[in-house]
Amino acid sequence: MRKDYRTIDAIRRGRTEIENHLIDGVVDGRISRREFLRHGSLLGLSLPLLGRVAAATGFGVMPGLAYAAGAAGATIRIGNSIPSAAIDPVTVADAGGLLMLQQVGEFLCLDGPDLVLRPMLAESWNPNADGTVWTFKLRKGVKFHGGGEMKADDVVASIDRLADPANSSNALSVFKGTLQKGGARKVDDYTVAFHLDSPSGNFPYLVSSDNYNAIIIPAAYAGDFEKTFNGTGPFKLEKYTPKVGASFVRNEDYWGEKALPARTEFTFFADLQPQILALQGRQIDIINQLPALAGVALLNDPNIEIMSLKSVAHQQVHMRCDMDPFTDARVRRAVALSLDRNKLAKGLMKGRAVVGNDSPFAAAYPSADKTVAQRERNIAEAKQLMEAAGLGKGAKAKLTTERYLEIPEYAVLIQNAVKEIGIELELSILDQSTYYGDAVFGKSNWLDSMMGITDYGHRGVPNVYLSAPLMSEGSWNASHFKNASYDGLAKSYIAALDLESQKQSAGKIQRLLLDETPVIFGYFFDFLTAAAKGVTGVQPTAMSQLYLDKASKA
Amino acid sequence: MRAILSFLVQRVSLSLVTLFLLSVMVFIAGQVLPGNVGRAILGPLADMRAVELLNTQLGLDRPILVQYWDWISNFVQGDMGTSYIFRAPVAPFVFEALGHTLKLAAVALVLVVPLGIAAGVVAALNVNRPLDRIISLGGLSATVLPEFVTGIVLILVFGVWLQWLPISAAWPPGAGLTTQIYYLILPALPLFLVLFGYIARMARSGMIEALDSDYVRTAVLKGLPWRTVIWRHALRNALLPTITVIASQTTYLVGGVVVVETLFRYQGIGSLIFTAARGKDFPILEAGILTIGIVLSIATLLADLLYSVLNPRIRLGGGR
Repeated sequence: MRKDYRTIDAIRRGRTEIENHLIDGVVDGRISRREFLRHGSLLGLSLPLLGRVAAATGFGVMPGLAYAAGAAGATIRIGNSIPSAAIDPVTVADAGGLLMLQQVGEFLCLDGPDLVLRPMLAESWNPNADGTVWTFKLRKGVKFHGGGEMKADDVVASIDRLADPANSSNALSVFKGTLQKGGARKVDDYTVAFHLDSPSGNFPYLVSSDNYNAIIIPAAYAGDFEKTFNGTGPFKLEKYTPKVGASFVRNEDYWGEKALPARTEFTFFADLQPQILALQGRQIDIINQLPALAGVALLNDPNIEIMSLKSVAHQQVHMRCDMDPFTDARVRRAVALSLDRNKLAKGLMKGRAVVGNDSPFAAAYPSADKTVAQRERNIAEAKQLMEAAGLGKGAKAKLTTERYLEIPEYAVLIQNAVKEIGIELELSILDQSTYYGDAVFGKSNWLDSMMGITDYGHRGVPNVYLSAPLMSEGSWNASHFKNASYDGLAKSYIAALDLESQKQSAGKIQRLLLDETPVIFGYFFDFLTAAAKGVTGVQPTAMSQLYLDKASKA
Repeated sequence: MRAILSFLVQRVSLSLVTLFLLSVMVFIAGQVLPGNVGRAILGPLADMRAVELLNTQLGLDRPILVQYWDWISNFVQGDMGTSYIFRAPVAPFVFEALGHTLKLAAVALVLVVPLGIAAGVVAALNVNRPLDRIISLGGLSATVLPEFVTGIVLILVFGVWLQWLPISAAWPPGAGLTTQIYYLILPALPLFLVLFGYIARMARSGMIEALDSDYVRTAVLKGLPWRTVIWRHALRNALLPTITVIASQTTYLVGGVVVVETLFRYQGIGSLIFTAARGKDFPILEAGILTIGIVLSIATLLADLLYSVLNPRIRLGGGR
């Protein structure tokens, strides 16, 4: 590939040390084009600039969000799950609710389907030298649906509200240890600086669409979002009826390109089956979220288009490191070795998944160290490990889990797999609320069980997966894994600003977790959206948001 | 008249005691459900501080007796409280859902009662002949098929393939009664299939018994036309047990059709209570169940009155 060094040098001038380090990485081939785009966007390099660097290094142009331009004026009808509580940006915690927030609300930046951050209400952002202060420049001329321009005060208030422990905010766990109330400070009307508790190389993700609560709403918000749905997005509320549905109309005052559809209509369903029937009967155009196993009827339907989005959503299989027989890491490794991951992905996810390697570093993350060998099924080695651990004659264990998605089937497959290495596994499958209990140690089947399977939603960066379920003091550490070296590595990964340092820590973490295996990461599954043939321009995110501003139908 | 009044007073007092016990049971059941309200609203992964704060804001840290008294005293004054989940008054949710449920129940009953009774009578008049076998076996088979099976088959046939009827029972806003009924036909059919077998069998056995009785034989022997014998003598007596069955099935139609409501996306009281129970929205759960209790008490009372009107042998209250 020919490199245009003159352009590269011109671009390098005036950039920070970290930014130039990244540019050098792509120039000398240490990092791939995809990694460059993704990490560059995280550091706040603008998309045109990233495109210029990519072109100058011979990689071609920057990919845009692929939209088909269709006819304007359609009404797009979507089926989705019932929001489980009142729609309030501070408290929403479920897929149905966050979809409603995103229909009218916008974030500082958008975590796109390719995990590349794109500017939304912020035009650019950049960190200070050690990643403790991130400064965001806001877009000018953005109007709230209810009137008034969006300014720094609104951003500060929106983020402060989420970081305030007095607000029962659902985003509190996202900001924990990184951003406190008061950390977001106005610099001028169009600039906000976030002063962090500790360095974070991935902070922009925490104020992106990845943190689905973080839509920017007016500073004067009084807790009555459901009445007005006052946001800044390309659609504004027409009608919202709890438990029934919602409709939105095009916002003619939108700061960006106006939406194509005249109207969108959301119908809430308590169950997936009626959604499938409604799509087949042409009473809705889109099912926002289609679990592969339950939605198998649609996967091969010629009248339905399935949009498959790479995501890092997964099910964690934890083993209590302080409870026999899993106190010995050899036993935990033996269990992991007994699983045939390719078969799991094929059987449970109909092939719409990639295999995991027992760490949160899914291949989709640019920071993942791809040189770490993939763990494969190896019964002979597993049996040897059992023997070496003194359990050659077998062992008994109990797996407790939740009735959700394909998890019960996964539990049965694990039960069959470990039978081969002499482990008799008793299953206890509970409804979700019984499984999670109070979600604190001592009061939760999830956190107290000897072995369990727990669902983890998609995250644009692995920070949460690395800390809460795996750090010694992690609040979701169901495996009770306590390892000082791991804690140190995870902290340095989270703090690292440049991609190479992240990769270095990631490789060490991946190897350590393969050795210790407190948690099995069997597969990372795709996010599926189903649409009737002829519906185009629909853009889901793995966070279960759905962008409809470019949607049309034949 | 006095007898009827005393009967009514007795039955209403009994109903009040039952409703009081029901309110206590529902309240206690709500307390022993696993998990807590703040957690249910904020999700399993929310910070514990946020969960505890929300519980305090909702008043859930107060003693149980205080919570119960607050709730029940407001309830009897017509205030059903505020939903934890929707942060809005409970009453509109409950009354709207109840209205929906009653409409669906009415459509189902209007279809099933005449057809079920007619089929039972026809079967009884053709006892042990092929027609009787078809009605009895057909009705029984339809009854044992779960609603989600018949519902899905009906949706596939009439909604997806033929596209004659809407799949969802939720009619468009501002729809008139005819449109509403049109939207309710498909969801009423699985209920029809469940109830048809019961009603037809009860009507059939009642009719067979009546036809075999002395008074019918007398009526025939004294030369009354067959039609008069059936209509005036046999049917009236044959229907008594059928009425009891219909009244008892009201319980099912009013509170127990969650599956049908979910399948057809219908906002009835069954699914309202179900989602409230799952989301630990106690104000809606408690008000919903108590409302169903009240409706059922009234339905039972009406059935008893109807029974006594049809059957003069029943003496009301201490009139003997």
